[in-house]
Amino acid sequence: MRKATTDTLPAEGGLGNEPLLAVEDLHVEFHTRPGIVRAVNGVSYSLNPGETLAVLGESGSGKSVTAQAIMGILDMPPARVPKGEIRFRGTDLLKLSDEARTQVRGQRIAMIFQDALSALNPVFTVGWQISEMFRVHRGMNKRDSVKKAIELMDRVRIPAARQRVNDYPHQFSGGMRQRIMIAMSIALDPEVLIADEPTTALDVTVQAQIMELLAELQRESNMGMILITHDLGVVADVADKIAVMYGGRIVENAPVHDIYASPAHPYTKGLLESIPRVDLKGQDLYAIKGLPPNLLDMPTGCAFHPRCPYRQDNCVTDTPPLYEISGTRGSACHYWREVLDGDQG
Amino acid sequence: MGRYVVRRLIQAIPVLLGATLFIFAIVFALPGDPIAALAGEKRQDPNIVNILREQYHLNDPLLLQYWYYISGIFLRGDFGRTFAGVPVSELMAGKFQITLNLALTALVLEAVVGILLGLWAALRRGKAIDTIILASTLLLISVPPLVTGFVLQLWLGVWLKQQVGVEIFPIAGITAGFKAYLLPGFVLAGSSIAYLTRLTRTSLVETLRSDYIRTATAKGLSRRRVIGRHGLRNALIPLVTYLGADLGTLMGGAVITETIFNIPGIGLQIYQGVYLREQPIVVGIVTILVLVYILANLVVDLLYAVLDPRIRYE
Repeated sequence: MRKATTDTLPAEGGLGNEPLLAVEDLHVEFHTRPGIVRAVNGVSYSLNPGETLAVLGESGSGKSVTAQAIMGILDMPPARVPKGEIRFRGTDLLKLSDEARTQVRGQRIAMIFQDALSALNPVFTVGWQISEMFRVHRGMNKRDSVKKAIELMDRVRIPAARQRVNDYPHQFSGGMRQRIMIAMSIALDPEVLIADEPTTALDVTVQAQIMELLAELQRESNMGMILITHDLGVVADVADKIAVMYGGRIVENAPVHDIYASPAHPYTKGLLESIPRVDLKGQDLYAIKGLPPNLLDMPTGCAFHPRCPYRQDNCVTDTPPLYEISGTRGSACHYWREVLDGDQG
Repeated sequence: MGRYVVRRLIQAIPVLLGATLFIFAIVFALPGDPIAALAGEKRQDPNIVNILREQYHLNDPLLLQYWYYISGIFLRGDFGRTFAGVPVSELMAGKFQITLNLALTALVLEAVVGILLGLWAALRRGKAIDTIILASTLLLISVPPLVTGFVLQLWLGVWLKQQVGVEIFPIAGITAGFKAYLLPGFVLAGSSIAYLTRLTRTSLVETLRSDYIRTATAKGLSRRRVIGRHGLRNALIPLVTYLGADLGTLMGGAVITETIFNIPGIGLQIYQGVYLREQPIVVGIVTILVLVYILANLVVDLLYAVLDPRIRYE
């Protein structure tokens, strides 16, 4: 069965009450030989212009799959979106025709990936790859588009951009390659930028520079940013709000300072406690017990219950909804009050 | 780059010497006497036989004979004479062109058919057409050119002509010009087409799984551009290598095809040369083939650096 599609592109200009991007009850599943993998099970989050949403979670939590669903770059099949909405400026992207979807992709919602070396095409120069955005989407000629590419390379602070525009990706360092990737993604002033672990493959010092650059670009253009990461350290400085994912669901969402001050889900709490701290030097590093859930065979009830220190009997049977703690906070834990109080059940 | 080419050419010398010595020794070891063969069943004058044996150095040991021969080629460009007195270079000149025509026809057929079928299969991976193409390549690989040659001769040469009344594919010879090369070209390319189809399919499927293809999609490029520019450009790299190296194989493989279709190229010539123990012909042709092989591979390696900027030669 094909869904009804429309060619109407999302509106531009004012937003009214509608958030810039709203994911609602999104489900993504993969049909594989051993069975159906439910990678995303009812994720909802929203993003406003100029806002940074950090999506936190370990591998397999569904954070990247959600992002790829927003971009529309999942391979379907094997992927399927049986349920949910991805509203961009009020238009459900999932109902758009392929044609209209392609118009949104890259131009209005852009994405940068983890490993820039493999994410850039090895046989084309970086200048060619950046300028392609202008040639394809803006109909620019070669000379003007390369000029634009050099401007962008300057903007992401690549030294000697003019001399390096005809170099190939492998001739750059890791940090510089990620800057190229960023230059390419912001080429057409997208309204939403999705950064999928943009600093994971980089040195710590370079990580900070890249995050700074992203924050700066965001301030200049007021774009909304979704920052996908498993690194809590990266998040604190740049994010406005955080959504923590576990087993394909959001287990906690909150403004960034609330989460650091008082986590309301045992998983978030575990994550925070496992950050190395200078003042606890010499002590054993905390680790969450157990392993991430097997997506083919999810635990019943709360997916986190096998690893949870707060577990009660009903956690095994009842899947917790995302309880509303306040207007801006939610936690998918039956015992969020106890977690907030710091009382180890 | 220049130094690289020179180094490769120097490396080619021992390869060339080794290959020619090997062939020379094999023909040397063949039973039978070429001078005796000249006269067929008739009796020969022992004096003349002796003069001829002297003239062709047949009484000398193997290595000395080889030295006379190879120094002739490299120092004087002289490929020697056949036992009937015809210069080998003269004999090869026209025939080499014919075989080159045949091999190039086969190479073009291989490239066009193989790459197109491979792309088709890759883009319809898992669908019926993919399975059909893969099964056909298996068939093409398993059936030797001896069989495909005669079968196609019968079907497309004889039967089709009877049906339409016009000769579309000549059965033998090269008097019909370009179209005479089509059928033998296809037979010669047969298993190469199959291998190239499979290689193309694998290469494109693998390329389309890469991260940079995902990036290209995320840039909002059309599927056509993602596959046609970003995918194909990368998927082509191993195919060029294969095609280049295959030119030498095709020229060598022409022996059977030329015999089936009675094409007077070096393949047929080498066959007759072996049959008549005409050492100069056999070794001369092999020397040229080895040279073609080495040069084709050198060109491929240089092309590789053009296609893949990550590779640099110094």
